[in-house]
Amino acid sequence: MNSAFNLAWRLFKHEAKRGELTIILFAIVLSVASVLSLSLFSERLQSALTARTADFIAADRLLDSEDPVDPQWISKAKEMGLATTQQVYARSMVFGNEQMTLTSLRAAADGYPLKGEMKTSTEPFGLGEVTEFLPATGEAWAESRLFQNLGLKLGDKIEIGDSDFTLTRVITEVPDSGFSVFGGNPKVLIGYDELAGTNITGPGSRITYTYFFVGDSSTLDDYYDWLEPQLDRELHYWMSVEDDDSPIGRSVARAEQYFLLASLLAIVLAAVSIAVAAQRYSQRHYDPVAIMKTLGASKNTVQRVYLYQISFITILGIVIGTIAGLGIQQLVVAAIADRVEVSLDVWHWRPLIIAVFTGIVCAVLFSLYPLLKLFSVPPLRVLRRDLGAGMSSRVLQFGATGSAILLLMWAYSQNLKISLILFVSGIVLVCALLAITYGLIAVGRKLGQGKMGAWQLAWARIKRRAMDNSVQLISFSITIMLLLVVLVMRNDMVSQWRDQLPQGTPNYFMSNITEQQRPGLDAHFQQNNVQTDVFYPVVRARFVAINDEKIRTAVTKEDDEQQDQGRNGLGREANLTWSSTLQNENRIVAGKWLDSWQEGQPYGVSVEERLAERLDIKLGDELTFNIGSEVVDVEVTSLREVNWQTMQPNFFFVLQPEVMQAFSPTYITSFHLPSEQKAKVSELMRPFASVTLFDVDARINQLREIVDQVSLAVEFILILVLIAGSLVLIAQVQASMDERQQELAILRTLGAKGSLIRSSVVFEFLIIGIVAGAMAALANELTLYLLQSQVFQMQGSIHYEYWLIAPLVGAAVVGLLGAAGCWRLLTLNTSQLLRKMV
Amino acid sequence: MIETKHITKIVNTSEGQLQILQPISFNVKAGESVAIVGASGSGKSTLLSLLAGLDQVSEGEIYLDSAGLHGMDEEQRARLRGEKVGFIFQSFMLVQSLTALENIMLPAEIAGMDNPRELGQQILEQVGLGHRGTHYPNQLSGGEQQRVAIARAFITKPKILFADEPTGNLDAANSDKVEKLLFDLNRESDTTLVLVTHDPELASQCQRQLHMHAGELTEVTEQPSGSDADIQQMQAS
Repeated sequence: MNSAFNLAWRLFKHEAKRGELTIILFAIVLSVASVLSLSLFSERLQSALTARTADFIAADRLLDSEDPVDPQWISKAKEMGLATTQQVYARSMVFGNEQMTLTSLRAAADGYPLKGEMKTSTEPFGLGEVTEFLPATGEAWAESRLFQNLGLKLGDKIEIGDSDFTLTRVITEVPDSGFSVFGGNPKVLIGYDELAGTNITGPGSRITYTYFFVGDSSTLDDYYDWLEPQLDRELHYWMSVEDDDSPIGRSVARAEQYFLLASLLAIVLAAVSIAVAAQRYSQRHYDPVAIMKTLGASKNTVQRVYLYQISFITILGIVIGTIAGLGIQQLVVAAIADRVEVSLDVWHWRPLIIAVFTGIVCAVLFSLYPLLKLFSVPPLRVLRRDLGAGMSSRVLQFGATGSAILLLMWAYSQNLKISLILFVSGIVLVCALLAITYGLIAVGRKLGQGKMGAWQLAWARIKRRAMDNSVQLISFSITIMLLLVVLVMRNDMVSQWRDQLPQGTPNYFMSNITEQQRPGLDAHFQQNNVQTDVFYPVVRARFVAINDEKIRTAVTKEDDEQQDQGRNGLGREANLTWSSTLQNENRIVAGKWLDSWQEGQPYGVSVEERLAERLDIKLGDELTFNIGSEVVDVEVTSLREVNWQTMQPNFFFVLQPEVMQAFSPTYITSFHLPSEQKAKVSELMRPFASVTLFDVDARINQLREIVDQVSLAVEFILILVLIAGSLVLIAQVQASMDERQQELAILRTLGAKGSLIRSSVVFEFLIIGIVAGAMAALANELTLYLLQSQVFQMQGSIHYEYWLIAPLVGAAVVGLLGAAGCWRLLTLNTSQLLRKMV
Repeated sequence: MIETKHITKIVNTSEGQLQILQPISFNVKAGESVAIVGASGSGKSTLLSLLAGLDQVSEGEIYLDSAGLHGMDEEQRARLRGEKVGFIFQSFMLVQSLTALENIMLPAEIAGMDNPRELGQQILEQVGLGHRGTHYPNQLSGGEQQRVAIARAFITKPKILFADEPTGNLDAANSDKVEKLLFDLNRESDTTLVLVTHDPELASQCQRQLHMHAGELTEVTEQPSGSDADIQQMQAS
């Protein structure tokens, strides 16, 4: 026991000092450092983003209920240390200035909002400022639209149910207002205790009680575990930031998946580099093992010596890797501190545990097969140097390595789908590469014939080390592929985010524009140099039947504010529009668009896909709408996929223009007003008092800010992975350079010129680089398609440019690294080279 | 000390089985020095590997200090090698990442001997390299490396020493030094020595020479000084 330990320690000490463990140590350091820095950074970033997105639901968790909940539920939450508050949402008519309008009434209790900020101003459409108090008794605050609709000003009285309120402030922003373009009816805010006096909460009223909770996530989870059995699915709805289906929620969710993907790829990169390094490590120890066995060491002693040694290397690698990982992470955070909110004050143990676990698993599992090979080296090798390891099983090698990678990814991501996608594409790549390598070697045999020049030498080497080269090719290809996946995924994701909100995205929407007002409004805006967008005709209708079967279902997204949060919406009216042009970000997924209609056919309607699914509407169904006293029957001729994340009016139903000719619509349009001209909006709208104006500027800015932060974070993650990947490539070339040492020494001894040797090595790496790049581009395409369509819910696309870029960059990078590695060897003189070989 | 009975070695090749050693039988007495000589490919290294228990015989029996090597598995043979056998190789076979002293200590440590460091240092002095203990093999000349290998071979006081072309990689001056050291230590320790060489001069220093040709033991010659060697059997197929 002791002698094996001493021997292992001595070997470890000397080999470490002489730099012989550099490659394997470096691989472990790299794996631990990259996994630690990536996951620590992304974990911190995620908490920052989650905290930020929590602003948009004004809490960490919400409980919506149709009735007031048992007070014990709230006291339990307080008892557990959670901060809570509540709010009541009601749809209520408000009277003022001898007119009335439907409003979205909120009665908020002290503490609201628990997260995020509320902004108010002292004039309609004015710039809001953060407000940390609520309306006093007898006071109400309202959105600008209410002032506009009813022609009110601050200080005027409004009537809500049985109570009167004085308007004292204008609401410009509440955190939990949802992301719908038409944020529903104008909001009116009163104190929670004033609600009872209004008497609007009687039977039949449509009221939602919302309870807000803030606390650390484990307490929140514990609370939910306690609460869940008591919840009634029909009445209650529990919501967390992750359930937020707004564009922000989705962007953050997608970014989180990207971070996860990047960390997974870092694990695979680390695994690849450890596998390569362990193989090299094992080969370098064939002689010592044969010597020890010859000198009488039992198999058990040899095993113990090397298991100890691997443990020493692993421990040292983990220690250095942890320090390096923390350092890198700190550097990245410091570099972007002013641009991304990363909560540095929170220490996360999970990344450290994962990194250490990864280091151990990688070191143990990926060195398992090389070590088993090493243990099987026969003592006879001392006499016959050509004897290698006695054991060789590619099935065991690939099987052990593959299942270890899959297990690691699964354990880390807890997401079998994402792990399987990466794994299966990896397998396909490996098989394809093996086939191609052998094919190339066969072709190369012909190409490489003739007088022995650099080209022929390169082919000869590739040919001779078919299996070694195929392993090397696979590791290069996987590395390049992983880098491509991370890079292309980032490009696609960021560009899709940015596309949602291009410069000049409309930040104001107008509705209720009459046919008569339209030309005047258009001209007025043009005079003021404000460009209006498309005018969409809209008619309010009641959706009453499918194939003559009566329905009572909510159909409008815009109409129902609560529906944004996934609730309610029964029996509301629908906004019907008509057009023969398909809107941007709309895609026909079944049937034909309305422009294919011909005289004599029934009139058509295009229905939004998800609504169709919810209401079980099929192509060919007949839908009936009531518009005033008129009945309109249309046949479903197409289903549309609609990107609800775009800040544009979207419609569930688009009808054939011909069927709507008899109806006089109102119009919806939008325009962009730069923030510095914000004050101009009241002026602009003055001649059109009856037109309703929606100000979505604040929403857009919030969304843009989050998207920018997330994009920047994604960029840094990409850079981290690129650095890790490049280091892996360098390590791989370095490892393979060692193998070439002997041959270089012989060629040198035989008098080959440096230039011949250098060119032959460069050619060899160029060939390997081109093939690896091409294979990586192919595998990248497959992986991306699967990831984008199955995991990221994105539109998949083919990236032709990378089919050219990847082989070129592969050839250039691998060729350069090969040349650099070779350069180092060529600086040694022949006797030094020969000595190194001993 | 060594007894072989009809030992053969057959290997599998792509063209079928190949008998690389014809049935051979001979004995070596304790303390005797024997050289196996022959041209390249004559089977002398194969014979050495079988005698030393580095490889398994295909047929026949080998007894090393009365222990039947032919019936042992690799683990048992390793234990026997550790207890009774020392080795010297043409390519020295030193562990590159251990110092000269540590290389010498290696068999003593494997055998679980007490004070391997002191023993190592002592024998290192004996081979004249007391001051080079902390040097790594690639910092030593070929002759020095072989002297370290000789020291390593003797540290466990083996009963039998096998040497494969011990001077094959050395120049004349170093060859002489190594030869002298090898035979001196051999005599002092009363070790049985079996060496493979095609250097006639080195072979002539042994008491007996076994001549190999195409896998057969063709001739046994004895040195006048070593006439006490007792050849019990010699058989070629």
